[in-house]
Amino acid sequence: MDYHQLLRDSLTRLPTVAATVDSVRKAIQERGELVILYFNFDRYSKVEEVYGWEKLDSVLETTGSAMREYLQQTHLGSSRLVVAFPNDDDFIFFHVPSEDTPAATDAELTELTSGLKDAVASQIEQIHGEDIAALFDIFVGRSHVIYNPKLRLERQIYRGLREAANASKSLEHREQARKVSDLRETLRNRGLYIEYHPIVVAETHEVFGYEALARGTMRSMRSPEVMFEVAAQADLVWDLSRLCRNRAIEGMGKLLKDGELLFMNVDPSDFADPAFEVNELLVDDPTRVVIEITERTAIKDYPKFRGRLKEFRDRGYRFAVDDAGSGYAGLGSIANLEPDFIKLDISLITCIDANFIKQNLVETMVKFSNDHGAMVIAEGVERAEEFEMVKSIGVHLVQGFFVHKPSANAVGVKTPYRPTPVFRSDQAGT
Amino acid sequence: MADTSLPHILVVDDNPDNAHIIRDYLEAKGYPITVAYNGDDALTAFEKVRPALVLLDVMMPGRDGWQVCREMKQHPTLGKTVRIVMVTALDDWVNKRQALQTGADDFVEKPFELARLGSAVDRNLKLTPAK
Repeated sequence: MDYHQLLRDSLTRLPTVAATVDSVRKAIQERGELVILYFNFDRYSKVEEVYGWEKLDSVLETTGSAMREYLQQTHLGSSRLVVAFPNDDDFIFFHVPSEDTPAATDAELTELTSGLKDAVASQIEQIHGEDIAALFDIFVGRSHVIYNPKLRLERQIYRGLREAANASKSLEHREQARKVSDLRETLRNRGLYIEYHPIVVAETHEVFGYEALARGTMRSMRSPEVMFEVAAQADLVWDLSRLCRNRAIEGMGKLLKDGELLFMNVDPSDFADPAFEVNELLVDDPTRVVIEITERTAIKDYPKFRGRLKEFRDRGYRFAVDDAGSGYAGLGSIANLEPDFIKLDISLITCIDANFIKQNLVETMVKFSNDHGAMVIAEGVERAEEFEMVKSIGVHLVQGFFVHKPSANAVGVKTPYRPTPVFRSDQAGT
Repeated sequence: MADTSLPHILVVDDNPDNAHIIRDYLEAKGYPITVAYNGDDALTAFEKVRPALVLLDVMMPGRDGWQVCREMKQHPTLGKTVRIVMVTALDDWVNKRQALQTGADDFVEKPFELARLGSAVDRNLKLTPAK
């Protein structure tokens, strides 16, 4: 089984490079050349980080089948689509011209590349939704190997592969520079808007609050994950966070009904930003604002961080731990933040109806929350079965496409404001 | 006597006593059972009998249960439909997260009670595609 796993990728059913070299050897020797295209799917790792490995597996299956389908319609001789390694997220295309036709021209390869990119992007958007489609980019590097009988063929192929991979990396770097410039323009023009994603009470479906999701108005800045990644590269995270916070708070006054809460994402590093101060936030009623802190970012200095949280708590702000249970840290790190809300990581919710280990983990989290007076939010609920399961486990609040999609105009049934029991005893002013 | 209309179950445990207790219990319920005593034999039996469900011990010499689980779940034709129940004490958050990483669907704590094992078998088989 090990040996076979090295030869073929079980997700995409595509052979690996190692398994393909022998089958193209004769053709390369006879035709004397090989064109290699290297498809670098940038930020596929982010899909896995945000949604879990099952989601990336599924995206890779879609990618493989979209590429295969597209290539079946082309007439590029004995071309082959392969993967570098099993379970890897980059794809490689070998084109050896067939006997009676010349090698593909640059124009043909450019057309093929752009056709493949479009085919993959549209299939992913159709099957996995706009958020995932907006997350990644595809960079295609190319190399041309002219067969030299003096050199071992495998090495020539692997050198060609590296050359194509490097070419795709160069494109990626160029694109990054363009994106930094797009982000600067976004910051200058305040070019982002907020979509409000309803969070509902599991038992009643009433809207409890909204998570503010920032979207850039420029196409390249559509995904918040992309915006923040670019901001981190350009040292602009604080600037972007400030704009997102201000936009979310502006919309809160206009769009949210009385009693509905605003859930606002804040990175732990934002607490070091001098502009992130209780007095700087233009919030009329801090008890209606929940600051979501992701569990994914490591907090370096807990005592100092907790001190900062207390300043906000004393004004009435509340806290949610986002992506809870995403790592191996368990409940201890969550307890350290004394949250009012615990937002379960999406990977625990996807297909929870068919996985008893996930059900057991969520039960543990619900019990922990009930013991500490916090509320659990299941996000990423996309199917009725997932909704029914989390509700039956006792999850208090639910967010996801099954109940509501995010919208630039907050919608939903008005829900009476229900103060939740406080987790700690040192909260003042409430 | 095994009821051939019931789904096949593969029991994997390096301790023959444990494996036979589980086999006898499930055979009495009519399930066709195959037993393997190590990871390599389990993978061979997996392709041969194409079980609907695998009861998998974790602590085995050679390939351990986690590795076997991962390989079964990555199998190109059988991986998508097989249900895998780990027979082990997943006593903390870390262990359970690791179990999810391998693709496991469920677990039964060890030392196990047969009734619990039986209910884990039932609830997982309910989720397998109909023959």
